[in-house]
Amino acid sequence: MTVTATTPAAAVPARPRTGRRAPWASALRVLVRKPGRIVGLAILVFFALMGVFGPYLYPGDLAVDPEAIYAPPSAQHWLGTDFAGSDVLQELVVGARYVLLTAAVAALATVVIGTTVGLVAGYHRGLADSALMRATDFVLTIPGLPLLIVLSTLWSFGQPLQMGLVLGVTGWGGVARAVRSQTLSLRERGFLEAARGLGLPTRHVIVRELLPNIAPFVAMNLLLAVIQFIGAEVALFFLGVVPFSSSNWGVMLNQAVFSGGVMNSPEALTYLLAPLVCILLITLGIVLFLDAIDELFNPRLRERS
Amino acid sequence: MKGFLRRLSVRLAAGLVMTAVVATFTFFLIHALPGNPGDAAYEQFVMQGMAPEQARAKVAVIYGFTSHESLFQQYTSYMGQLLRGNLGVSISYSGVPVSHVIASAAPWTILPVLTGLLVSFLVGVTAGVVAAVRRSSRWGGLLSLSGSLMAGVPSFVLALLLAFLFHTLWGLLPFGDTSDVTLTPGLNAAYIGSVATHAVLPVATYALLSYGGWLLSMKSSVVSALGDDFILAAELRGITPATRMRYIGRNAVLPLFTVLALSFGFMFGGSVIIEHIFDYPGLGSLLLQSIGSRDYPLMGGAFLLITVAIVLANILAETLYSVIDPRVRR
Amino acid sequence: MTETLQTPAATEDRSAEVSVRDLTVVYRTDRGELPAVSRAGIELRAGEITGLVGESGSGKSTLALSLLNAVPAPGRIASGSVEVAGVGDVTKLEGKRLRRVRGGALGYVFQASQNSLNPLKTVGKQLLDLGRSHEVEDLQGLVRRARELAERMGLDADRVLDSYQHELSGGMRQRVGIVLALVLNARVLILDEPTTALDMISQAAVLDIVRAVHRENNLATLIVTHDMGVVSEVADRLAVMYGGRIVEHGPALEVLQRPSHPYTRALIGATARIVGDTTRARALPGRPPDLTTLATTGCVFRDRCPLASAVCEEEDPALVEWTPGRYRACHADPTGDRP
Repeated sequence: MTVTATTPAAAVPARPRTGRRAPWASALRVLVRKPGRIVGLAILVFFALMGVFGPYLYPGDLAVDPEAIYAPPSAQHWLGTDFAGSDVLQELVVGARYVLLTAAVAALATVVIGTTVGLVAGYHRGLADSALMRATDFVLTIPGLPLLIVLSTLWSFGQPLQMGLVLGVTGWGGVARAVRSQTLSLRERGFLEAARGLGLPTRHVIVRELLPNIAPFVAMNLLLAVIQFIGAEVALFFLGVVPFSSSNWGVMLNQAVFSGGVMNSPEALTYLLAPLVCILLITLGIVLFLDAIDELFNPRLRERS
Repeated sequence: MKGFLRRLSVRLAAGLVMTAVVATFTFFLIHALPGNPGDAAYEQFVMQGMAPEQARAKVAVIYGFTSHESLFQQYTSYMGQLLRGNLGVSISYSGVPVSHVIASAAPWTILPVLTGLLVSFLVGVTAGVVAAVRRSSRWGGLLSLSGSLMAGVPSFVLALLLAFLFHTLWGLLPFGDTSDVTLTPGLNAAYIGSVATHAVLPVATYALLSYGGWLLSMKSSVVSALGDDFILAAELRGITPATRMRYIGRNAVLPLFTVLALSFGFMFGGSVIIEHIFDYPGLGSLLLQSIGSRDYPLMGGAFLLITVAIVLANILAETLYSVIDPRVRR
Repeated sequence: MTETLQTPAATEDRSAEVSVRDLTVVYRTDRGELPAVSRAGIELRAGEITGLVGESGSGKSTLALSLLNAVPAPGRIASGSVEVAGVGDVTKLEGKRLRRVRGGALGYVFQASQNSLNPLKTVGKQLLDLGRSHEVEDLQGLVRRARELAERMGLDADRVLDSYQHELSGGMRQRVGIVLALVLNARVLILDEPTTALDMISQAAVLDIVRAVHRENNLATLIVTHDMGVVSEVADRLAVMYGGRIVEHGPALEVLQRPSHPYTRALIGATARIVGDTTRARALPGRPPDLTTLATTGCVFRDRCPLASAVCEEEDPALVEWTPGRYRACHADPTGDRP
């Protein structure tokens, strides 16, 4: 008999088949249960790769070809060309980095602020809760896009980091409210009282006990926030209220609609559709992938379907 | 009834506080704008040869305060003007009060938003019930997917796709402005018909925009109502499926009133994009246009009004909720 | 499992309102279909209150729901029959005929802590919904009957019919549940945990009412509970469930005084009384099984049984008549001493 076999843990007979599976194995199982989820993940990975490596595929500036303005798709220009004769595919791939990086920064900022506010409000309740929730109501009531437009007159936030932070700081209300209600429901289940009854310090209870329990929920909100912020940033460029600091999908749409007159001539079809389809695909990818996280978070769904 | 009135007045007071906070925010925002518009305008008038007194008076008319007062004085006079419904005078619509400009633009936002909201509510809630009841079938899954997708897709994507498909590609619907410019506004069939067809695309965009939210919230609400004890109890008492469906429907719709307010705000926010794309002269267009022309009083007014509309929508939703739910009533 | 199965009191009494035979209910899970109720047999007779006792997860609620062929979704009745007098085998019914039996012939009353009423409609309106669902032509007569029942139970009928659920106390809701269960003249009354979540005074009142309406209407009543105290107060017959099986069944007084199954004995031992020696109350060792931890061979109780022997590992004991009118499913000596 080895020494380990005599430890108290080993002395407790393991109940067969009821032990917890490793979290990664269970996540994988959930992921492959429906093919749609793998498709979703594949779409997200594809765009992430485009954002990271895209600009390296096309070093140097955009080539301008005045001979081929609004050219239809061809072997040379797979998605045709724009008003200046630049390759649409190249613009799309190069522009992906800005769009995705900004959305990632914004989503991260939103989730950090929203989760913190929601956790603290839900955990402490009382005065801190009321104060934080009034602030949340305020952030939620002020309409996001009009606020961003007004703010754009105040300072120009064209760079990805600035843009991401501005979006994140103005858009955390929904996450805060959702995290708070999750925290309250954990509290209702006697979960917090149990942890505190053991004499665990506040920080430990929040970071070690609460956070892991709401982590999948936060992850869901993170992904939803990504869609929301891609929409918002592209919209700001599309509306032309933020200076065009770099080539991205919003600039492409703005040019296509307001300079290219695409609404009156189907010539620039691909120039308009390319960024739209990309945004649609990312939305689809996130929605499909969320289904898997939803099931991980909410195991009851497993038995139903 | 007494309690109802008391709660209503509490809500109105809270809304008023919210409006005041937003107004304060707008005031300081305009103040923080590059080159303090009040000062800029004052200097501009003086340079045009106006006497300082005259210039100061004109700035006061435009902004509701003079830039030579202290910040606090400026703030109180701004809020005082606001209480009297005076939002200042528009710069780009030379001399027209901002409230007039906004009043003429507001219907072009409010009517399409309300119509879109109504359509999406009816369609989304119905689809949500179907998606909940058939949630384990393929169709139910596809319906839910359509909801998630629509809830996620940005408004400009929808608007551009609709405009491109129905106007540019198929030529089915008109696009741009509220009616055919050759027609004279009035109560004649041609004008009204033109307004109606021009409204189809914007309204459809608003409707699609909030359809997903209704569907998803109704679905989860119905799923949870399906598991409610009283539904099982009704089944065990032999209540007909139709009656049980009515029980479920009414109980499930209630929590959606909180979504109503959010949805309303979401659509008002989206009006900036949708009106810009469809060239619709509503509040969103006004806001964007005021920024383009640096018309700060108009910008502040439009922003304030959009926010107040959302605050009012919130109050309306809460009041409706308390009228319908007997547990909150009395 | 090939042993012949005996159904208790199969033809003993002609006035059986409900007779359950060889009923197996399974739940579909990740690990295949697992039985929640195994080959259970029980009979409800007019004028008799039967207590069905067990811990949570013993399958007693599932058994009660299967009397109305209303086992919830992942579960289904796999085999067996539920004969209801004047109706036939309920497990074979579906659609409208099944619906009419529910509430019509069989009245089911939810546990008081549960919300068994639509929160958005007054009791009166829900009564009318019930009448219309069962195509009652004389709705005024229905209301009159409901009023009588309500007054009989000590409710202010006018007030109650005009109330929403949230305006009623737990005990009042419970009584409204009984009114709705009996208003269509059901012959069988099934009460699921009728006293749970009620205070002691309301508990006693509800049990008094149950006994009274039971006697006045000559009902066949089934009380599903985990509370031995409730059973000892009102039940004429007693069935004890464990792990989806009926392990003991017989006249209530006899079973309580001379339990013949080690589980029944443990259950009685675990019940603390207000009067009496609480030091004698002892907790049952171990945990009740759930569907996934249930033994698939041998006796389901053997892991917690003080009298378990080698045969219990291999053979699932059948429910057999021990002394006239009393049934038990156990390999051990029925008079076995407490450990």
